[in-house]
Amino acid sequence: MDIFDAIRANLLSPAVLFFVLGVIAAVSRSDLKFPEPLYAGLTIYLLVAIGFKGGVAVAEAGIGRVLVPAVTAMALGALIPLWTYPVLRFGGRLSAVDSAAIAAHYGSVSAVTFIAATNYLKSVDQPFESYATAFLAVMESPAILVGVVLGKLATRAAGDDSGASLRTAVHEAVFGRSIFLLVGSLIVGALCGEPGMKKVEPFFVTPFQGVLALFLLEMGIVAGRRLGELRKVGPFLLAFGIVVPVLNGALGVELGKLAGLSLGGATLLGVLSASASYIAAPAAIRMSLPDANPTLSLTASLAVTFPFNITVGIPLCLAIARRVYS
Amino acid sequence: MNTHPMKLVTVVCEAHAKEAVLRTIREVGAHGYTLFPVEGDGSQGLRTADIPEFTNLQIEVILKPEAAALLLERLGQEHFPRYAMVAFESDVRVLRPGKF
Repeated sequence: MDIFDAIRANLLSPAVLFFVLGVIAAVSRSDLKFPEPLYAGLTIYLLVAIGFKGGVAVAEAGIGRVLVPAVTAMALGALIPLWTYPVLRFGGRLSAVDSAAIAAHYGSVSAVTFIAATNYLKSVDQPFESYATAFLAVMESPAILVGVVLGKLATRAAGDDSGASLRTAVHEAVFGRSIFLLVGSLIVGALCGEPGMKKVEPFFVTPFQGVLALFLLEMGIVAGRRLGELRKVGPFLLAFGIVVPVLNGALGVELGKLAGLSLGGATLLGVLSASASYIAAPAAIRMSLPDANPTLSLTASLAVTFPFNITVGIPLCLAIARRVYS
Repeated sequence: MNTHPMKLVTVVCEAHAKEAVLRTIREVGAHGYTLFPVEGDGSQGLRTADIPEFTNLQIEVILKPEAAALLLERLGQEHFPRYAMVAFESDVRVLRPGKF
């Protein structure tokens, strides 16, 4: 299967088509709107479902097999802001605090992108390690903390209360509701194991595809509404939002191979590296680096990188992995 | 009915400013507040309020006039430069002045 077939297979999945439908709804100013509690409910469902499933897989595989790739994933998350920061600062001529904020968003991860990737791998019959959800859980926070520290170091001369705001960032990065739900469900799943899975399977596994399609419809609307902001971010960030995920994706695939993952697992680590956070990172950064311009980081991650990954980035990571493993 | 003059301070801000604003409200001596999600448009762009993280909040707090003045001054100095926010005060009359 060449890269174009891979992309076409992804584009014609219900989840991606509904995402496109959402973007069209937003751009055409349709009055379609999800009630906010529905969005919150769908998020909780998706995070609990993948957390639980991942936890069961961790219990099956044994913590020993998960450890090395999980530590690799964590290190990767911390590393990405360190190389993207100078690119933004000196290549993009952005302010230090904006560079740190954007670097944190790109080092952190998007759970929905990850879920869409597992969905895609299933649809093309590419096996992967189900415990990869653990990588998602450990990759969310390190980049946010590194980004905040970078921002603080850069603005220290301005003299502000770095201790207090670093604490709020740590709290947000570790106890924010998405990471809390995900890690919590992973632990619950690991404790229940396969017998527990049998009990909740009809609720958490069978309807999953439909819920994901519905959620991506909403995400299409949310991302589509922000397309107008693209004018404000400039050509550098547009290019950054597409080129950097591809580079990070290749880096993730390579490190996944080194850490002993299968082709499917390395693809997922690639997708995680390629993805950018638009929920956890904005919340933590807004509280700890309030001088950063949120329009820049949020528009790049939500209106550029997220749609790119959902449509092209995910099959591209699989194509890179197939090349690396052949 | 015997009512007493107080100030109602209304703050409309981005959701991410919530903790910072509530801290300041406590620090100027308010005994409580009311908060609700809202949507609207302004100088910093449309707040579609489509997902909780991007919503706008309206926070209302009733204070003694001195505390209200202090709150507005601190909001202006500490939060206006950083967050998307407006704040204003209005005159209200309450039944139980000791409550505020």
